[in-house]
Amino acid sequence: MTHVSGNGGTAGTGSPDPSRIPVLDCAGLTKSFGMRLAVDGVGFRIFEGEVYGLLGPNGAGKTTTMKMVCGLLEPDKGTISIAGRQAIGNLEVKALIGYVPQDVALYPDLTAGENLEFLARLYKLGRRTVAARVDEALELTELTDRRNDRLDSFSGGMKRRMNIAAGLLNHPRLLVLDEPTVGVDPQSRHAILERVQAFGREGLAVVYTTHYMEEAERVCDRVGIIDHGHLIAEGTRRELVAQLGEQDRISLSATGDLERLAEACRGVKGVSSAATAESSVHLVAAEGRHLLPAILEAADAAGIAVTSVDVVEPDLEAVFLNLTGTALRE
Amino acid sequence: MRTALAIARKDLRQRIRDRSAIVVGVIAPVVIAGLMSLAFNGVNNFHFTLGLVELDHGPVAAQLVKALDAPQLRQVITVQDVATPARAASEIRSGVLAAALVIPVGFSAAVTGEHPEPLTTLTSNNATIAGDVATSVAGSFVAQVNADRLAFATAVAAGAPKGDASRLIGIVARLRIPLQAVESPIGAHELKVISYYSPGMAIFFLLFTISYTARSFFVDRSQGMIERMRAAPVRPVEILLGKALSVFVYGVVTTAAFGADWGAPLPAALLGLALVFSVICLTALVIGIARTQRQAEGIASIIIFGLALLGGDFFFISSAPSTIKHLALLTPNGWAIRGFTDLATIGGGLGTIVEPVVAILVISAVVGAFALSLARRAVTS
Repeated sequence: MTHVSGNGGTAGTGSPDPSRIPVLDCAGLTKSFGMRLAVDGVGFRIFEGEVYGLLGPNGAGKTTTMKMVCGLLEPDKGTISIAGRQAIGNLEVKALIGYVPQDVALYPDLTAGENLEFLARLYKLGRRTVAARVDEALELTELTDRRNDRLDSFSGGMKRRMNIAAGLLNHPRLLVLDEPTVGVDPQSRHAILERVQAFGREGLAVVYTTHYMEEAERVCDRVGIIDHGHLIAEGTRRELVAQLGEQDRISLSATGDLERLAEACRGVKGVSSAATAESSVHLVAAEGRHLLPAILEAADAAGIAVTSVDVVEPDLEAVFLNLTGTALRE
Repeated sequence: MRTALAIARKDLRQRIRDRSAIVVGVIAPVVIAGLMSLAFNGVNNFHFTLGLVELDHGPVAAQLVKALDAPQLRQVITVQDVATPARAASEIRSGVLAAALVIPVGFSAAVTGEHPEPLTTLTSNNATIAGDVATSVAGSFVAQVNADRLAFATAVAAGAPKGDASRLIGIVARLRIPLQAVESPIGAHELKVISYYSPGMAIFFLLFTISYTARSFFVDRSQGMIERMRAAPVRPVEILLGKALSVFVYGVVTTAAFGADWGAPLPAALLGLALVFSVICLTALVIGIARTQRQAEGIASIIIFGLALLGGDFFFISSAPSTIKHLALLTPNGWAIRGFTDLATIGGGLGTIVEPVVAILVISAVVGAFALSLARRAVTS
């Protein structure tokens, strides 16, 4: 794993001070399903007030890792500690975790209030506390006026907000958000990301899994990059991008055989990696702007017509591409 | 326990909002109970109209007509005179008569002669019991006449003067066959048809709880709710217990909605509780075996109808073949029906239901032990 060390200090400005007690400390997490190794030796630490992004493509092992952290799956190997307490098989520790699953997990035939009240009761809270927490969660997600409406009358974005609200009912110390913006409209997505950043500012330790590089860049203080069950890099955005040195990410849109175009680009001196994603080819190259003529020439020689070229500053997408040789959204 | 109660409360709230659950759990039992009450009204007061074709007009025929008018038969038979056998057959076909008895010409003369003239009963396939009763009454009369003939012949053979025949006939006529088969029911009350079928149907509807609850579990799972519950400090067994509690309440409401005559309240309640416990175990079994909602519904249907058929929910188990009777002893509903019919006939208190309750609990324990480990896996997988 490429572990990038920062300057220590507070979350959001660099890697955390290792002398602090992490809210989540997991090490060597390994999980297989039959012959398939889903997660292999993953370990990371998250501190109070820190939003930690677990970035990786679909099937990388993000959700499996989160399920192990939340006690929904038992790891084959490894350790998990929450707020200094051993977590595997420890029911009480679950009260410290707020889990927001990838899909909306609420009852469509119950009202917003009834859903939250039911879920709050699972934490064995008193009647008054339950009522207060439900009010608080509805207020936080700006759904107070929809309290008595059934979930099946809510928009997708509202359901997502409710899904998050349900994860806050127990006042967790660690909030686990598993791809909370999948299928959400841009407005709701913006609101959710704002809220996640606010959770960090309010002192919660947040694990945020996503396969959206922009989201990880926007909300996460630190990012762990996971691929094929391995945590391959970890650090702040700045630290991770610094690995690339002077390399740029070049995005080529083209019609025709994109794999052939990627192969042609790999032959260009200075291109360190090339991968196809959706309708474009992504390259990581040292001093990309200067390489453009050679790249276009290679494309022409391969018989591919490039329709647009975009040279962008190094970002997490480029980091992922550089580390794995594949695009994040492949 | 608080968590289980919260789950049960939530399940019941959802069930109240689910119209199909209300229909099957409450409305259908009430409607079925009403229909059964209508259908079985009068079944226990069996009565039919017997056509009498009297072609003989002799003294023995007169005795038979008199016998048919006996007070004990009047509760069962209304006798209606019919002119000819053909007319009687026609009225049986049209449903006016349930059966008919034909006294042939020369019937009285045949009693003292050598050529018997048989009594004939005309019966209908649609009223077999009435036919059986009519044949039985006729047979009983013929048996008495034959006994009289035998007594008279014996007296004559023993040397009684034939000129004393009228005196002998008078003596013989006062005699009755000394040996009789007498029915002596062991129950305090006769088993009414509705006392059998009401619990039978109520139990049948209670069994549907298995399907509803298993379906609810798999819906919860597909909606990610089981996972969400497990992310909280909740044990798998608490989730199952919560589901079981909702089965319990729903089951009690379903059986109460049926409004049957369950017998003494306490024994009936204990029997009902044992049965609901067995339904909980069966539900856990379905949850444990099935992998999807569709599988759960299929397996539950097989269990519900299998138990209902084997346990005697649809027919009198006493009239079933011996194999079915033995298989019924392996079903909790079979034992429950047996318990409820015992309460309705024998009456009595707790002693009456000890055997059925113990049997139901043993069956439930066996099923439950097997089901619990499977169901736990279903919760945690």
